[in-house]
Amino acid sequence: MSSAVQLYVSTLLIYLGVDIIAALALNLQFGVAGIVNFSFILFQAVGAYVAAVLTLGPSTPPPAGFQDYVLGATLPYPLPLIAAAGAGGLLSLAIGVVGLRRLRTDYQAMVLLVFSLIATIVVTNETGLFNGSNGLSLVPKPLADVLGLSPYDIGYQWFFVGIVAVVCVMAYGVVHAITSSPLGRNLRAMRDNEHAATALGKDVTRLRMLAFVVGGALAAVSGALLVEFISAWSPGSWFLPETFSFFAAVIVGGAGNNFGAIVGALLVPVAFLEATSFIPTFGRAGLVESLKWVAVGLLIMIFLAFWPRGIFPERRRRFRASRTGAASYTPAPSPCFVRGTDQPVDSALLEARSLRREYGGVHAVEEASFTVPTGRITGLIGPNGAGKTTVLGMLAGAVAVSAGDVLYQGAVITRLAPHQRAQRGLIRTFQQSSEFTNLSVLENLVVAVPRARGDGLAGALLTKRYWRGQQEAEVDRARALLERFAMTPQQDELAGSLSGGQRRLVEIMRALMACPQLLLLDEPMAGVNPTLARRIEEHLADLRADGLTMLMVEHELGVVDRLCDAVIVMARGRVIAHGPMSTLRVNQDVLDAYLIG
Amino acid sequence: MSIVGSSIGFGLITASILAIAAVGFTLQFGVTNILNLAYGDIMTAAAFAAYFATKGGAPLWLAAVAGSLAGAVLSVLLNRFVYSWFARRGAKLFAMIMVTLGASLVVQNGMTAVFGPDFVSLPTSAGTTYQVGPAIFTGPQLAIVALALLAMAGVHSLLRYTRLGQAMRATATNPDLARSCGMATNRIIDAAWLLSGLLCGLAGVALALNLSTFTTGTGGTFLIPVIAAAVLGGIGQPYGAMLGALVIGLATEVSVTVVSPSYKTVVAFAILIVVLLFRPQGILSEVAMAKEIAT
Repeated sequence: MSSAVQLYVSTLLIYLGVDIIAALALNLQFGVAGIVNFSFILFQAVGAYVAAVLTLGPSTPPPAGFQDYVLGATLPYPLPLIAAAGAGGLLSLAIGVVGLRRLRTDYQAMVLLVFSLIATIVVTNETGLFNGSNGLSLVPKPLADVLGLSPYDIGYQWFFVGIVAVVCVMAYGVVHAITSSPLGRNLRAMRDNEHAATALGKDVTRLRMLAFVVGGALAAVSGALLVEFISAWSPGSWFLPETFSFFAAVIVGGAGNNFGAIVGALLVPVAFLEATSFIPTFGRAGLVESLKWVAVGLLIMIFLAFWPRGIFPERRRRFRASRTGAASYTPAPSPCFVRGTDQPVDSALLEARSLRREYGGVHAVEEASFTVPTGRITGLIGPNGAGKTTVLGMLAGAVAVSAGDVLYQGAVITRLAPHQRAQRGLIRTFQQSSEFTNLSVLENLVVAVPRARGDGLAGALLTKRYWRGQQEAEVDRARALLERFAMTPQQDELAGSLSGGQRRLVEIMRALMACPQLLLLDEPMAGVNPTLARRIEEHLADLRADGLTMLMVEHELGVVDRLCDAVIVMARGRVIAHGPMSTLRVNQDVLDAYLIG
Repeated sequence: MSIVGSSIGFGLITASILAIAAVGFTLQFGVTNILNLAYGDIMTAAAFAAYFATKGGAPLWLAAVAGSLAGAVLSVLLNRFVYSWFARRGAKLFAMIMVTLGASLVVQNGMTAVFGPDFVSLPTSAGTTYQVGPAIFTGPQLAIVALALLAMAGVHSLLRYTRLGQAMRATATNPDLARSCGMATNRIIDAAWLLSGLLCGLAGVALALNLSTFTTGTGGTFLIPVIAAAVLGGIGQPYGAMLGALVIGLATEVSVTVVSPSYKTVVAFAILIVVLLFRPQGILSEVAMAKEIAT
């Protein structure tokens, strides 16, 4: 190859490596965890800045020198790169604490976008901090002096390709370890349905933060490599639109698929944006540039419209057949929801004390006091608008109480967050189906396992060897449940493709995998065909026989009659009666509430 | 003449433009639940429509009408042919925001490709200035304030006294309930895009009048303060948006007396972040929550 061709190819390869790291980082945040990080480029910029000043040495303000900046030092390679990762992670932590809390996805995106804009304004205005809009230049190339190579040699160029390749492989290793682990499964569950993940005991704030910080650190590394290669850091190269080219890469390649992210980086930022800068420009100045961004916008929209899962859709995870033989999963591993001996039947497992919930002066629930006895199925009935679902929400922690207390296993849990309640065995299901649509049925079950090995960052990075053993046991437990609920044939299907009734079953099985002590069911048979409803009813009766306690909101009085040991009746925000169905049937208040309410 | 006094004057003008834009934004966001990132770029498109109208010899008032109509038509088309297509296929929030982002990129850069990156300006009759209290206004600036007041009065009477306005408020408060009450929510949504597009276009023209020059990126940069005003007022709350516009407009301009003018917009950004963190439902939310339950 002539040296001009070598220069061209090696330069493109370096850009490709940098963009692959960035796309992997954004795929972890956006594709896997569902965070719309519109400030993505900020983390690349910060990593680049930190790597640059830690290589440049102390600041040389004018008139003696020509650039003024903070944090200047000369550190041996690869310390600047590592420091860049740290800086990216720290900044993610700071911004995440502010921006990633209980907000709607699109509001989160707004906050992050605003951070990116603020950063641009600050950087260009604070000349003392970052040398203003001039940026930094003459950043020494790493290890050139040690190798005795001129940084402009073709040899050095290939050496740098090597550095980028090594970092690339490491970045892929980290991202792959996370996405294939139980942690990655939790992230995808959170992305598909945040509320359902919370209700299974997942701390979604922590999960989101984790993906955000790891992604931020990797983005910073990619920026650091870029600045070391081009020897200059200019605020102008890190404006907001650059973020969108990485979003295009992830969407085109296939959100949630690491290989897709790599292909996306090859297609969008490299082939589309970098390589085209080598073709001759036409038309007026800037025309090609604006057409490029039109094309990026069109790419995003067209792919979301026609190939929303991208060129390489997210892989559907299958679990290997159990080593004990695939034919039969008996004897079933003991279900974790069997009641301990410390709780005698009929003792109060849960108690609601004068629960009240108002919305701006309107009482959704005025006064709800009742107990849920251990080992029984308690029904919660009442006409529409009686406040049943609101009560369930207050018990599970999804709805804050205006007044009153919730006691569970004798302790006041009113101030506990929903996921903390779930971790103690208080598990709820939802009125609307809330399966994790892009997870398989089996994954929907396995994801619910509490305190799984490898559901933290350290455990995930220890790779399969660390968590595989426990996961196999849990997969067996999930398969036993599937067998019991006659859903084994559907185990590898995406939960989103199931029928309404099957989704309800998945939701119940999933709740059982979370080791409930008390199951709060919100109309488990709503919208299910009569045959399947009958089956769900039988399953619930069997679960009671296993010792599980349940509180069930239900409209169909026949079901309540057959299934529930005791019934709580609510009307207009109040508990108006409490007792076995036979006595409620002749209770005048109840009849009035149903006829008038 | 005090600096604070004149910055309050500037603040009122900014607030007027913001109010027109934010009321449009909040109506559309409230009714459709789509955070439309292309809103600012439609403003720019309207400004360019007005610019070309004046180049064709139209008087300024006619150009403003043309700009508003362009805003309305573009908004309705954008919804009809792009957003609602995704909404019907059940696009989730994070997919939808990517779609509006894509639309923003296409509209803004498409305009740069066609109109060029240069700054242009609407011909305004420079000269006469008017002293109001401590502040000095130009004729177009006073016209902007008057237009804003007119637009607000118009929106108020539409929402208050017409069936369409009531239906729009109902849909914004609870779309499912509105649908089950037999309202033709599709037509209401179209009407919301039309109305918000008119306001968006008018705001674009006003913005271009107030800035001496503008370019294809102008509306996009103005979008964040608009969203800040709408969020501050509580999404779907036109009166809240007016209040939010007043707060943001005054805060950004008056801040110039204490911080560098380069940080003017940062004030609006900061308000947006603080509101989203501590009161994401906006300042007028109690009313909204009560409505949701009481209906």
